[in-house]
Amino acid sequence: MKRDLVVLFGLAGWALALPHYGSEFVVSLGLSCLMYATLSSSWSLFCGSTRYLSLATSAFFGIGAYTGALVLGQLPWLAAIALGGAIAASVAVVMGLAVLHLRGTYFAVLTFGMTELIRHAISYWEKQVTGTVGRVLSVVPERDTVYLTMLVLAVTAVLVSIALRRSRFGLAMAGIGADEQRAQTLGVNTRLVKVGGFALTAAFAGAVGAVMSVRWTYIDPATVFNPFIGFQTVLIALIGGAATLWGPLIAAVVFSLLAETLRLQLPQVYMMALGLLLIVCVLYLPGGLASLRWPAIGGWRKR
Amino acid sequence: MNGHPLLEARELTVRFGGLTAVDAVSAAFAPAELVGIIGPNGAGKTTFFNALSGVVVPTSGELFASGRRLTGARPHRYAQQGIARTFQTPRVFAELSVGANIDFGLQFAGRRRPATGLLKDEASILQLIGLAAQRALPAAAITPSQQRLLEIGMALATRPKLLLLDEVAAGLTENEVEAMAQLIRRLRDELELTVIWIEHAVTTLMRHVERVIVLHQGRKIADGLPSEVVRNAEVVEAYLGDEMAEAA
Repeated sequence: MKRDLVVLFGLAGWALALPHYGSEFVVSLGLSCLMYATLSSSWSLFCGSTRYLSLATSAFFGIGAYTGALVLGQLPWLAAIALGGAIAASVAVVMGLAVLHLRGTYFAVLTFGMTELIRHAISYWEKQVTGTVGRVLSVVPERDTVYLTMLVLAVTAVLVSIALRRSRFGLAMAGIGADEQRAQTLGVNTRLVKVGGFALTAAFAGAVGAVMSVRWTYIDPATVFNPFIGFQTVLIALIGGAATLWGPLIAAVVFSLLAETLRLQLPQVYMMALGLLLIVCVLYLPGGLASLRWPAIGGWRKR
Repeated sequence: MNGHPLLEARELTVRFGGLTAVDAVSAAFAPAELVGIIGPNGAGKTTFFNALSGVVVPTSGELFASGRRLTGARPHRYAQQGIARTFQTPRVFAELSVGANIDFGLQFAGRRRPATGLLKDEASILQLIGLAAQRALPAAAITPSQQRLLEIGMALATRPKLLLLDEVAAGLTENEVEAMAQLIRRLRDELELTVIWIEHAVTTLMRHVERVIVLHQGRKIADGLPSEVVRNAEVVEAYLGDEMAEAA
């Protein structure tokens, strides 16, 4: 616990210094790392422990992005971010009440379906009612403000994960992941815990979306509800080890760097590498990369 | 005790499609009773338990805990009302330590109840079920018979008033069965717990319970003292035969 906090603040300090000496490209790379670190850490804190595989991250991200774009003119920066998170969380409560009684593939497919539904609904609304396809954000904060906000979100996501591990709420989620019915018969109000955890995950994704909308300055449903954001979050968390604290974080940094460097030159190679790694991890390393330990490797070598 | 039984089922019926697993069963359980439920395979014993613990919602009929209606409530409410259960195949949290498995119930349903005596804390419960030495081991690493004890310990950690035991003696050696029966009597005697105990091995059960309910094809065909039930013509004819007469 103490060691986790020390590592976290060490990393945060280093990330904090980045805009002062890094080039524009490095800072943009850093922002992308922080974005996926927040998304996959917050995804793991619910989905990793309860084993409910949600594909709705894009929906919450997009809702946050649209909220940010709509209110930034009227509300201060931090209020816009908070509202993005809050609206995403409320949508998650409604979605959660509708689908969290389903498990496994059914839950995953339905969260994905609802994401698509939300995306198409917003596209329709924009075309029919507002008469636009996208929105341009004219008043945006400085680059360093955006970066700093994302850093705070990433640190908060990890802090919340650390705190949850030691709380009754975290224990309840772990119980749901291990044997939901058994947890119920021991007194866990599973519906409350699941909806609460799902909303917490969504709040982070919504806040991240609101931050990224100003970074992109132009948003339309196809970009902010891009299912790839959700898939990549899930892949990063699973490859890193969704049940661990640092796995998703480390994988987020590695994959953001890989994505930025490979995507420009060899986009197919990046996607294939991601897919291959996922298969290898699911088959041979179900605990993710973070489950690799020196003793395990030593034991394997002796065989 | 406001004159109400601790747990009462009225005309409880559970149907799965065309199959009636539990057919209009009524039964009441008083504080500190030790009741056995017997019946051949498929008699509806486990489904009856599932309904009594809220795991299955009854198709019709009512359930009351100390006079309070519980029908249709979700399982955690049953646990909060002091109804705890074990499952036929132990469902312990395999990755958690034995101690953490006990702690789980204490953290949830057990939290709002007075922490006294044998159920005071994790250590006292481990002592009671005889797993104090295994406290730090992962639950996956202990033997199947120890897992059965742990399963009971997890239920006890909710600090219940009533304990539903589903075939806790199945697959145990003779000595282990005897030790299990001693533990169950002790829970009743010292904690004044109502215990409802399903067991397939009729002879074992009959020696230890004070009242027995017989289910057959989902219906309750007898309810009384073991010595009376074994002489009940319908029971003998339905399935028990000689095995039961010997037990008596």
